[in-house]
Amino acid sequence: MNAAVRPLAFKPNETFRDDFIFHNSPEAIRRFPMPFPNDEYMYSVNIEPHVAGAAGSVLEHAFDVDEHYIAECRERAIVLAAEPLRFQALPHMQSAQWDCLELLMDSLARDYPEHFSLTKRGNHWHWINRPLGIDQQFVFGDLASLPHQPLDYITRQTQGDFVVMDQRDGDLWIQAGMVTTPADWSLDFDMGMTFKEWHGPVPLAHEMNVFDRALKYLLNLRLGQPVRRLNWTLTIHPRLDTSPEAFPLWGPTRTTVTPQNAGDLVHLRVELQGLWRLPRSNAVVFSIRTYFISMRELVTIPKWARRVHRVVKNLHPVLVDYKGLTRYRDALVEWLAPFDDGTPTTPGTAPE
Amino acid sequence: MSQAQTLAVEVIAIEQVTPLIKHFTLSAVDGAELPAFSGGSHIIVVLRGATRIYRNPYSLLSSPHSLGSYEIGVRRMEESRGGSHFLHDQVTVGSRLEIAHPVNLFPLAKTARKQVLIAGGIGITPFLAQLEDLHDGTAPYELHYSVRSPEHAAFLPRLREREGDRVRLYFDSESQAIDFDGLLANQPLGTHVYVCGPAGLINRVMTTAQRLGWPDSHLHSEQFTAPPTGDAFEVVLARAKLTVQVAPDRSLLESIEAAGVEVPYLCRGGVCGFCQTRVLEVDGELLHNDHFLSDAEKTKGKSIMPCVSRARCKNLVLDL
Amino acid sequence: MLISGIKSKPVYSPLEADTRGRYHLMLAIGGAATALERVLGQLSAADPDALTRSRVLFAPDRGKAAAGSATATPATAAAVGFFAAWPQLDVRLYPDIPALLAALRVLLDESLMGTRLYVAAPESFIGRAVQLALEFNMNQDEIRAEALGSLARRVHCIHCRTTTEDVRTNIVECGGCGRWLLVRDHYSRRLAAYMGVMVDAESPGERPAVQEIFP
Repeated sequence: MNAAVRPLAFKPNETFRDDFIFHNSPEAIRRFPMPFPNDEYMYSVNIEPHVAGAAGSVLEHAFDVDEHYIAECRERAIVLAAEPLRFQALPHMQSAQWDCLELLMDSLARDYPEHFSLTKRGNHWHWINRPLGIDQQFVFGDLASLPHQPLDYITRQTQGDFVVMDQRDGDLWIQAGMVTTPADWSLDFDMGMTFKEWHGPVPLAHEMNVFDRALKYLLNLRLGQPVRRLNWTLTIHPRLDTSPEAFPLWGPTRTTVTPQNAGDLVHLRVELQGLWRLPRSNAVVFSIRTYFISMRELVTIPKWARRVHRVVKNLHPVLVDYKGLTRYRDALVEWLAPFDDGTPTTPGTAPE
Repeated sequence: MSQAQTLAVEVIAIEQVTPLIKHFTLSAVDGAELPAFSGGSHIIVVLRGATRIYRNPYSLLSSPHSLGSYEIGVRRMEESRGGSHFLHDQVTVGSRLEIAHPVNLFPLAKTARKQVLIAGGIGITPFLAQLEDLHDGTAPYELHYSVRSPEHAAFLPRLREREGDRVRLYFDSESQAIDFDGLLANQPLGTHVYVCGPAGLINRVMTTAQRLGWPDSHLHSEQFTAPPTGDAFEVVLARAKLTVQVAPDRSLLESIEAAGVEVPYLCRGGVCGFCQTRVLEVDGELLHNDHFLSDAEKTKGKSIMPCVSRARCKNLVLDL
Repeated sequence: MLISGIKSKPVYSPLEADTRGRYHLMLAIGGAATALERVLGQLSAADPDALTRSRVLFAPDRGKAAAGSATATPATAAAVGFFAAWPQLDVRLYPDIPALLAALRVLLDESLMGTRLYVAAPESFIGRAVQLALEFNMNQDEIRAEALGSLARRVHCIHCRTTTEDVRTNIVECGGCGRWLLVRDHYSRRLAAYMGVMVDAESPGERPAVQEIFP
């Protein structure tokens, strides 16, 4: 795969609402983070070190920028204009916000020098974001020198949601975040919750001690040693903002899926989650980067077509309900069935 | 999880700030800024002696806003296994050392309505870094610093200049003692107390606070326990298929590391639990010196913290 | 979507004294006051002076007393009789919950470290009291609560952010935007309310029957 050599071709006019103009290039399809290493899916503490993955893959860099970058930033701006509370930060999280700004700017400038530049003269920083046409001089640590709060400012220029957790009393507490692309959870409602409370609505995993083990791991997260994991669900249309707040807008689409249109309407939605310890605040930042692939695009990879058919067909009923698939699971399985000839699939997620 | 890579630093200044305490300033060998950190963090300093390697934790006392260098304060310990002596006697300006990335096991509570810091002797070090953050914050704070005499009060000019009345000093030599009851009996809701220094000081503060009804979540302490010495003993590492001799002045962890086996660690002082190791067999007695395992776990004898604990036994087999 | 069996739903247990505390601040609403009996007994058994450092704030559950008279309701009179068994206890009576909460704020501002807060009340009051205690940085190990009486909930509409009080049913019409909301078990300590999300978003008009499940 030569994706590392080809320059990114942004598609700034894509939309994630209303007319849903969205497609993945062949490169984007092949690098899609497939979350199913085998034909059955159940929860696990699937945390691994966030180290550099294969060149061209979504795991190559700390924060992945892809062809949808400009369009996703515009989508975020639309959400924020209508609902400013999608960004929140408690007053004591100022240093954590600056930590996040530094982490993101350093990473983006290092990994995509053709798109981002960062020069520092002491606390005087100069940030250039070419795709978005931003040229900003500011003083690191000085709120007045930026047009928005630091976390707000930089996440408006990043794909994916961010949640910042304060570590105290042997637990992690949500104290700040930018959440405009959630898979059915609300930052405003969950602000102030602990790690397990925030994950309260996830069925089965608590009984499996998934969150106890994950929490213990995260409490010992060390500077310079981030971790990552994948999460998934299905969404009708490539709608990034599937918040509870907006449920009246996206809920009804679940009843519009038929065995004929499932390939175009149903999208596999994968979250690449990263967790970093932050230096000045000792907080933990959780990045949630969302990738979409329509079923029609997905089945162009034969192994994935067979595998996804099997995973969805055999999914635990509690998960079917929790992931909101109840109304259209059968229609989707019917659409996928012709792509599954029963041939065994190899373990692992590589496209074949 | 194995250790993160270390950073190469050079000692660029050494100052004898009290008869027992030396102040070291370290900067990166490659001239780059050092990693940002939160007040209360410590670094593990790797000291390569002629016959052994020390890995000692020291609190960063420098400002988290000045990352051109790190500063630590090292007290010459009387009954030392040698780490502090090595730093005092062998390390000079220009010496090169390795340090690990900062780790914070003693952070400030960001939502406190008031912060009370209590330091004894060398325990002042983590608070020096934290004072920068407290100074910038909105919650009122005060520091109570107890030392044996004025000449043993490290970093006094720096403290006086920045903090003025917020620092109160107590000199043993002038019979000035912290009035723990007075200090802890009348604090408003939302106050957090932090204590760092000798075990005796920490015990006094904790006992008094608990007697006055303070909940554990508002009490924080940091104590760097140097690994206690003891009789020599032998340990078998089952998976590595190695037999390791633990000398009287080496910790179990150091001996295992010297044999080439890595054990995850964070504090090396018996409090964080990171090095917890499974005991497969023991014919004899485990000598638990840590503050992490519960009494029940210590009695059960299925785990040991090799950073500070030892054994008196004929046979000890660990799952390493 | 998970409606019940959610791990963020608060779980309460019968009140026990925290004899490690020094000052004990107790809030009791209506008939729930009797839940403090064991706490008071345990405190005085552990330390004869404990109750001299203890205080109860009481309000009746519903409605106001006659103007100016905090003792007018039968519930208040019953409470006064109940607490009379502990003459060292400082008992303060309030005509209604808003008055009690206002007084609580003042008291918390004057309270010292070593204080434990106990709440014996319907759940919706517990949430409001805990919200206030959080403003003073009180942590979980300083607060104990037992939910007694009505299960009626405060429901936060996720769409328009209005709180609807006193919800006893599985679905409720939002007091702000008029949508019918499914009352979930997902609870926010910060908002002191359960989440309400539009019940018929997928198929507008298709609603389950209204049932009283939080009497």
